Amino acid sequence: MSAIEIIDKAKSEGRTILTEVESKQILAEEGIPVAHAQLAATREEAMAAARQIGLPVAIKIVSPDITHKSDVGGVKLGLNSEEEVAAAFDEIVETARRAQPKAAVLGVSVQKMARPGVEVIMGMTTDPQFGPVLMFGLGGVFVEVLKDVAFRIVPLEARDARQMIRDIQGFPVLEGFRGQEPADLAALENMLMRLSAFVEEHPEIQELDLNPIFAYKDGALAVDARIVLS
Amino acid sequence: MKDLNRKLEKAFNPRTVAVVGDKRAMGYFWLRAMKSFVGKVYSVQINKEEIPGIEALGIPNYMSLLDIPGRVDYVVCAVRRDICPRIIEDCIRKGVTAVTVFASGFAEIEEEEGVRLQQELGDMARKAGLILIGPNCVGIYNSTLGVRQGEDQPWGEAGNVGFISQSGTHCIDFTYVGYGHGVKCGKAVSYGNAEVLDIGDYLEYFAQDPQSDLIGIYVEGPRDGRRFFHALRKATRLKPVVVWKGGQTEAGARAIYSHTAALATEQVLWDAAMRQAGAVTADSLEEIVDVLKGLLYIKPGTGRRVGLVAMTGGQSVVIADAFGRANLEVPTFTPASYEKLASFFQIIGGSYRNPLDAGHTVAMGFRTGNLERMLDILVEDANIDAVVFESSIPFLKRRGLIRTTLFDKLLDLLVHYKERCQKPFLVILQPGLLEGEMAEIRGKLLERGIATFAGFQQAADVLSKVINYHRFRAGLD
Repeated sequence: MSAIEIIDKAKSEGRTILTEVESKQILAEEGIPVAHAQLAATREEAMAAARQIGLPVAIKIVSPDITHKSDVGGVKLGLNSEEEVAAAFDEIVETARRAQPKAAVLGVSVQKMARPGVEVIMGMTTDPQFGPVLMFGLGGVFVEVLKDVAFRIVPLEARDARQMIRDIQGFPVLEGFRGQEPADLAALENMLMRLSAFVEEHPEIQELDLNPIFAYKDGALAVDARIVLS
Repeated sequence: MKDLNRKLEKAFNPRTVAVVGDKRAMGYFWLRAMKSFVGKVYSVQINKEEIPGIEALGIPNYMSLLDIPGRVDYVVCAVRRDICPRIIEDCIRKGVTAVTVFASGFAEIEEEEGVRLQQELGDMARKAGLILIGPNCVGIYNSTLGVRQGEDQPWGEAGNVGFISQSGTHCIDFTYVGYGHGVKCGKAVSYGNAEVLDIGDYLEYFAQDPQSDLIGIYVEGPRDGRRFFHALRKATRLKPVVVWKGGQTEAGARAIYSHTAALATEQVLWDAAMRQAGAVTADSLEEIVDVLKGLLYIKPGTGRRVGLVAMTGGQSVVIADAFGRANLEVPTFTPASYEKLASFFQIIGGSYRNPLDAGHTVAMGFRTGNLERMLDILVEDANIDAVVFESSIPFLKRRGLIRTTLFDKLLDLLVHYKERCQKPFLVILQPGLLEGEMAEIRGKLLERGIATFAGFQQAADVLSKVINYHRFRAGLD
């Protein structure tokens, strides 16, 4: 399905929050690197998907009504066998049902465990004053506690993408702090430019989170994604 | 848009002005302000008791805008809010180019009748293509033509700074405070509630206005932030724009699902938008005047390394701190510079580092020759991008330099130095508590084209902002 089709389908179902699987499908189509996620409605489908994708895998709850997956125990990482996948499927579906009984659970998403990198976050929101804006920051404690993020108004120019990455306090972390792998800054800038073009083309998108993105020395990969429609 | 700019050009350069509703109770505020206007000024007032007072000012009064012979380009509508629709109707029938609605009590008081009336005025103006400024504002200022918003404002002289203000008070204050500091406003507009034209419209006009080399802005909240952002991004590529943001605008409450939305607070986004657009920012009237002064009088430069010559010893550390806080560097000089300095610099009672504490070398006997040599060494020094000279009024007074030929010599030295120094050069002049002398000395320097800044931190902040703007223009950051 194309971006437009996915968005139209969600709208016709009265949904404003796209699932991770839908969000990633759209983003991949726009040339934004995402860890491919496959929807599995049943335990058997989840096991088959894991076999096909290759172990180890991560599985996450898929529900249009659940926005914060880990809050409801809806994420299992580093599953090394099909048996583990089956058990994890049962567990997260059960836990999610208990936490949010009214939530429609479509199943789980299955994806290959991504190689860890420097965690960064990119996002977009629609500001009442300036319209669509993009955010960049380092993931984890940097964004949650220190709020070390940079914003720009869409559309971005190349200079804006370059600056917003360098504007954050934690920038040295991306340059390879203490022997850590340095991040591919050009890949991150490119991702921001593509996101800018994407949200500019789709005014129906209200909010977007790519969190986390793993930044490597050669490229970057969005491991989780969420798109909210207006 | 071209069409709007043409109309605004006419509005800012009227040939005839009419004031509707000025009266004794207002001290004939508007008519007095317009006394300086080089074109024709008319009054419209129907109250018989008010007319003799108006005519005593030498201004002809009419019972209606429509009775005025010939064209009327610009109207100040100074009547109560409920009378405004009738006056706007007359403006339209008379074919007026622009009208300023001075009355308040519209949408800004968030009361139903006020909101309705403002909408009504807006609808009338939009339909007729009439430029309606405001309501709740003091409208247009043109120093050359003497179109003023108050009696205190300077006139008769052209200025190369344009000013756009949501507030009337800040607009009027800026024109005369700026004038006293060599920041001469040629055209300004106070636009109040922005019913028909918003800040973005005025900014587009000033961006293409050849008279306005720089633009200052006071804004609380644009009606259309996105349009303002785009106009700003374009304008800063043509000329410096300094934005002074007052207050906090209200963002509507909304449901938030994402991290991004939770972090996108109003202040964070405003700051990001200003940086992205290449605007220079200021937080007060004093600062916007100072920053514009810096952009006007300091030669463009993109390097952050500052060389300082200080008259007052013991201040060296403080100065270096101030420049460091402003994200500038105070590096050591090149060995060649130290070699040259060694030939005459008096280490006792002075300091060699950067800042050069010129206490004994210059101050004892006030050897301007030595000062000149030091300043020239900094021009040559490859480690230095900008030169700062520091002195203070108490110092000049202590040395008996005020109103002496020696002071004139110092002044000449600084003027000639500024001319030959291709690096940004600025003077810090600390007032101490001697405000009277400060104004005199500041004025003397300004007359000769040298801007002074009243403190280390102010100077450092201004220099940093000026350099950042030129770096932005050069595509360096």
